[in-house]
Amino acid sequence: MSSTPTSRRSWRASVIFTLFCFSFVQGFAQTKSLTITGKVTDENGKPLPGVSVLIKSATSGTISNQDGAYSLSANDNSTLVFSSISYETQEIPVSNRSVIDVSMLPSNKTLNEVVVVGYGTQSKRAITGAVASVGFNEFKDRSFSNVTQSLAGKIAGVNITQSQGAPGVSPIIRIRGVSSITAGTTPLFVVDGVPLENFNLNLINPQDIESVDVLKDASSAAIYGSRGANGVVLITTKLGKAGKTNISAGYEYGTQSVIRKVPMMDAQQWIGYYIDAHNNAWVDLNPAVNKASDPNSARPSTYRIPDDFITNPQQFGKGTDWQDVMFRVAPSHNAQLSVSGGTEKTQFLFSGSFLDQQAVLDENYYKRLALRTNIKHAVSDKFSLGLNLSATTVFDRTEGTQGKSDVVSLAIQSDPIFPVYNENGNLGYRDPNSVWSKYVAYNDLNLWHPYSLTRFYHKQNKSFNTLATAFAEYFITDDLKFRTSISGNLFNTRLNSYRVKNQGYGYSGLLPAEGNVQSSYMLNWLSENTLTYDKRFGDHSLNVLAGYSVQKQRDEFATVTSGSFPNDLVETLNAGVVTSGSSTATEWSMISYLGRAQYNFQNKYFLTAAIRRDGSSRFGRDTRWGYFPSVSAGWLISDESFMQNVKFVNSLKVRASYGIAGNNQIPNYGAISLLSATNYVSGAALASGLTISNISNTNLKWERTGQMNIGVDLRVLNDRIGLSAEYYNSVTRDMLLNVPVPDISGFSSQLTNIGRMRNRGIELNINSKNTTGKVIWTTDLNVSRNRNTVLQLGPTNAPIIYTDFVVAVKTEVGQPISNFYGYVVDGVFKNQAAVDAAPHYSSTKPGDPIIRDVNGDGKITPDDRTSLGNFQPDFTAGLTNTVSYKGFDFSFLLQGTYGGEIVNQNFRYLGFWNNGRNMFASVDNRWRSEADPGDGKHFRATLGLTGLQDQFHSLWVEDASFTRLKNIRLSYTLPSSLTRKTPFRVARVYINADNVYLWSKYTNYDPENTTYGASNYAGGSNGLNASGNAPNGAFIGVDYGSYPIPRVVTVGLKVDL
Amino acid sequence: MKTIQYFLTLLCVCLLTSSCQDTFLDLTPLSNATADNFKTRDDFELAVNGAYASLYTVYHPEGPVSYANEQMSDNAIMFNISGIQADKWQFKDYSLATANTMVYQFWQESYKAIFNANIVLDKIEGASLDAAYKDGVKAQMQFLRGLYYFNMVQLWGDLPIVTTPLTGEASYAVLRSPQSAVYDQIKKDLLFAAEKLPLATAITVPGRASKGAAQTLLGKVYLTLGDKAAAATVLKEVYNSNQYSLLANYTDLWGPSVKNTKESIFEIQYLGGNASAPFSRFYQTFYPNNNFLGFYGGGMNQVTDDLYNEYETGDPRRDASIALGYNNAGTFIAQKYPIKWTDTKATQVGGNPLSNNNFMVLRYADALLLLSEATGDPLYLNLVRTRAKLPKFGEATYPTAKYPTLDLAIEHERRTELAIEFQRWFDLKRTNRAVPVLTAKGKAITATKLLWPIPQIVRTQNPAITQNPGY
Repeated sequence: MSSTPTSRRSWRASVIFTLFCFSFVQGFAQTKSLTITGKVTDENGKPLPGVSVLIKSATSGTISNQDGAYSLSANDNSTLVFSSISYETQEIPVSNRSVIDVSMLPSNKTLNEVVVVGYGTQSKRAITGAVASVGFNEFKDRSFSNVTQSLAGKIAGVNITQSQGAPGVSPIIRIRGVSSITAGTTPLFVVDGVPLENFNLNLINPQDIESVDVLKDASSAAIYGSRGANGVVLITTKLGKAGKTNISAGYEYGTQSVIRKVPMMDAQQWIGYYIDAHNNAWVDLNPAVNKASDPNSARPSTYRIPDDFITNPQQFGKGTDWQDVMFRVAPSHNAQLSVSGGTEKTQFLFSGSFLDQQAVLDENYYKRLALRTNIKHAVSDKFSLGLNLSATTVFDRTEGTQGKSDVVSLAIQSDPIFPVYNENGNLGYRDPNSVWSKYVAYNDLNLWHPYSLTRFYHKQNKSFNTLATAFAEYFITDDLKFRTSISGNLFNTRLNSYRVKNQGYGYSGLLPAEGNVQSSYMLNWLSENTLTYDKRFGDHSLNVLAGYSVQKQRDEFATVTSGSFPNDLVETLNAGVVTSGSSTATEWSMISYLGRAQYNFQNKYFLTAAIRRDGSSRFGRDTRWGYFPSVSAGWLISDESFMQNVKFVNSLKVRASYGIAGNNQIPNYGAISLLSATNYVSGAALASGLTISNISNTNLKWERTGQMNIGVDLRVLNDRIGLSAEYYNSVTRDMLLNVPVPDISGFSSQLTNIGRMRNRGIELNINSKNTTGKVIWTTDLNVSRNRNTVLQLGPTNAPIIYTDFVVAVKTEVGQPISNFYGYVVDGVFKNQAAVDAAPHYSSTKPGDPIIRDVNGDGKITPDDRTSLGNFQPDFTAGLTNTVSYKGFDFSFLLQGTYGGEIVNQNFRYLGFWNNGRNMFASVDNRWRSEADPGDGKHFRATLGLTGLQDQFHSLWVEDASFTRLKNIRLSYTLPSSLTRKTPFRVARVYINADNVYLWSKYTNYDPENTTYGASNYAGGSNGLNASGNAPNGAFIGVDYGSYPIPRVVTVGLKVDL
Repeated sequence: MKTIQYFLTLLCVCLLTSSCQDTFLDLTPLSNATADNFKTRDDFELAVNGAYASLYTVYHPEGPVSYANEQMSDNAIMFNISGIQADKWQFKDYSLATANTMVYQFWQESYKAIFNANIVLDKIEGASLDAAYKDGVKAQMQFLRGLYYFNMVQLWGDLPIVTTPLTGEASYAVLRSPQSAVYDQIKKDLLFAAEKLPLATAITVPGRASKGAAQTLLGKVYLTLGDKAAAATVLKEVYNSNQYSLLANYTDLWGPSVKNTKESIFEIQYLGGNASAPFSRFYQTFYPNNNFLGFYGGGMNQVTDDLYNEYETGDPRRDASIALGYNNAGTFIAQKYPIKWTDTKATQVGGNPLSNNNFMVLRYADALLLLSEATGDPLYLNLVRTRAKLPKFGEATYPTAKYPTLDLAIEHERRTELAIEFQRWFDLKRTNRAVPVLTAKGKAITATKLLWPIPQIVRTQNPAITQNPGY
């Protein structure tokens, strides 16, 4: 970067900011005040309680009492702002009066709701982008620990999927499709103004949250610049209101249960398969000589069958259902207490909650203690201070979410013939003193007893999170406000684990005892300074924001392992001998400038323009600075005079916007060519070595997404029916892509800005008050559709194919990203004549799959692979119905996604012979002979995979469409006639059920399951899948054995004092 | 208040100047060095060690040289049968598909190894270090590069020849050169290495390449090219160098603490006992696929009866090389497996024994047998047989009926002396014996199967890369 222009720019900015600092430091001029009293009434002259009376440009205020009366101190020249939900806000100058009575006029309620946008708030009326806002009432009774889980199915264009059902696992959130192939696709979380990348929202108690606002379009998100391209989720926590102190307490009890099991073979079915597989493979080996009836003595060990399987298989009965062993009905308790309130000058909220949740998986649990204090204090009319402080502690043990060889997957793969306990009370057949140990001679019998991993492997994860924001606001003039804040997020974790020697003989091997401790540390700090100018000039309103922020994060990780424990009595590492240890650290930093102007004319023509300039340590020296501009406009047509006669339209607004936001989710040092330790040995000593682990790219820069959004909001028929529709078209350019390069360069890929991708879609939201009066029934429906298309890839547009454990995904121009890519299976060859008549893989035998000759060249080759589907759905929908009658509230939510596919990667273990694992129950309908061809879908049993059955093909891919009865709630608020006699102001009981029922054809647990989440580069992780050969995000929608999503039923009581 | 004032002013002013911003945003990695660090002798020592470390992948017990020589010959099979191993089974079935993931992995690793040598050769050109040191480093890198290309040309035939670090774009232009050109490059590298490398006794860092290593390898290259005279010349130099000798007993060669003996010519160095050091994986990988020693045996290179029976009666090398089976919770399971790299006392971490055994790529017995092959003189062969306490070729008690010619005697001797040392298939190929010998044992091998396919993915990325015949 040439330094001259920057210096000049910086110089100007320095002057301005020094002035800010100066004025901020300068002063606390005292002003004279007088006491004002008055009465607030509604349009009919009735007293109106609960109206907020604030002094404009200051932070103090009060609310009107039961009689509509209020009293406060204000300067003689100040202006009072009267506001209340459902009423038009009024501004009345004091003009040296001491009594001011006000009559409030009803307003169009919806338009005046306040929506949190980045670095400020706006009334819904003034929103010109695409912003969705969800208030506390929408999720207050839901049982989830992460607030975003409660939003699934509620917001059009925001796809929230629960990839794993374990407590404490955050959902995957995709806003308006997937905008990147390699870089992360997780939205930016902003908690009380603090942008936190990859923040775990489980660390914020949902009961402390006032609202969740989602910035969906690029014009709204552009104020977050290089981190906005995946959308922004803004979390605002509660603060008390001036008036009586409110004490609120709640307790809820819940149970969780697994409602869908994966149908697996029982012992008899499995023994049948085992015998067939061995006999068929033995005969295949030399069909002229070998016979299925040959005894074990005539066969090599691979082809031998335990005698009991032949002579007395009945002794095994149905065997053990390992899913029943591993899963249980699990209870949970959740207790809450919050105290909030305040005076004109000081408002506060203190809250504490304790969640104690057992998991449905044996020995797993999740416990969370969340404490929060939010305080705001007005030192003077001009100057106020505040602090939001939250401390959260989580103790958990969470397993079964990693697929492949994690507990849930292994238990499903375990053979049903083995008992839960052997005759010695041990877990497995590896017990040398057990009669079961005779099966040790057969290499292909498998048992990974769930208890060997949950009860003979001790683990606990402890996390501590502190998030603190201190801020000061100062009104330099009535219209000009300076705000400065310092935030810190400190997150520490510690994972202790100890593997008990031999694991009760329940694991696949007898492993020595081993202990491990891992700890991680993260500190993120942010300094933010903004100046806001808010002024009305007659019909013109102007709000201008200028800001500057600096943020830095450091992550550290350490691990130590010990072995050679003398016994299992002491599990800390000192009891053993340390065998390995390592620690790493990474950092990133960012400097940002931001500016925004919001203008409106007569409160019906709205215009917003914003720009942010970000500089990040993650990018190349020459390209690390980027500009992210946006512009948007809205027109409230219904306020025009020509609309006044159109009585049935209550409000009508059109919006249009365009913005550019960026994506910075790449590894912290992605632009630099790194050397990694590649040690050699010299004699008996380590010889340190280094090799280059990636190609540098000093020109690496932001991925940029430009998005156009057009929206219309309409409310008709006395506000009974509301409709919002959005259309957007976004194009991501300079995609951060690990472009494959020829391997002869020594590398397989290089992180490059190349390629383009488009997401476009429509979102529709309809809400309707079906009945009013005593019974209030409302319906909300949202439908959204997103089309994702890759427009351009590497230099030659060569498709990118990633493979992980056989499953291949292909990204090519003209298609959505990550199409599942494999062979098409058209059934099973009935007999040899059918094999001979069709193109087939050379070793194919009758009973093997019919592979489709896609390119028609008469041969089965890798060129016959084709697209088998994509995880992205055609459309998603959510439907909420709420009925209120007297104190009763009832609601239910139906949610669905339609038209996507999912890969059942468990097919690799459970769909064909894979080293003696258990099989899907449906495999029992297999081809056994020409005369007994089964259902035509399942191949013959064999150890040798002769017909490409182990390759990735269409039988691995299933329809992911589903409809879910996501939530049912019923609550009853005790009538005040009853509560009046108690100390409680409000008392409410409720019952809530989540994940009530699932309609889906998927054969594994849940079509929302995916073992691979969005690519995540947080904390120094490399964003790659477990085998390290592809970005994780490329495999979303691949389920390699997942944690089922349990049904949760809770009952609760909440009281306010 | 004063402090806060000061801090805020500092923050506002400092971070707005461009130099201060650059300082704030220029974060160098904390846990990795960067590629700018190639200047001093110490820097190059690190890079040289990194290039040697590529030997770990090339000679990995499940690496390309192991698969080719043991799985594709008559020496070994795998005993961890299961669906997911299908790509591995294709080696022993001679049914390698172009989509075989192992072949692609070996291709990637091979060129990564080449890159790690090339980057040192490239960076040292411009370094201001003394010429002798630079020559020494260059000779070592060219030795490694020659060794890597020699393996690769035997696996794939024609190859893209890469001798400098290439950018992603430039590598599209490098296509396959004929085998003869690859061999020319190998000879060039090894001749330079043989000229500049010190004698074995002059080597201070154990494991570094020596003159004798370059010469022995060059001899093998000449033999592979059919140039017996040149091979004889260079191998005689090794013979006459007085640098090497056979150990007294064959069993002396093996064991976790046997390292860099007089017989060793080029040896890959391992360090057991620590998970973060490069420990040896041969013991674990070649142990039967069962878990009763408390670790996961790999079941790789399980010995065939055919190899076991190749040994003459009383040959001590058989029992030093092969175990008949293992004890499984009191039951004896008959399954022959290699035991040359056994380390029963190895520390275990995460189910892996961290073994200490080195691996010899070139040893004197190998050189002697090559010398007999080059000269037609059984003298050198008989030195090896004498150590094994077996009758000499030409003596009455020699099993002449079975091995009537010197060529057959050498073939037999190499198989037994160098069993499971990743030599067999290359030996059979070099002597044009692969097809007849393996066909006679019922294997479905044909002439085109003597080369591996170019991986599909390589040709998808760059369609100008040609395929080997038969794929």
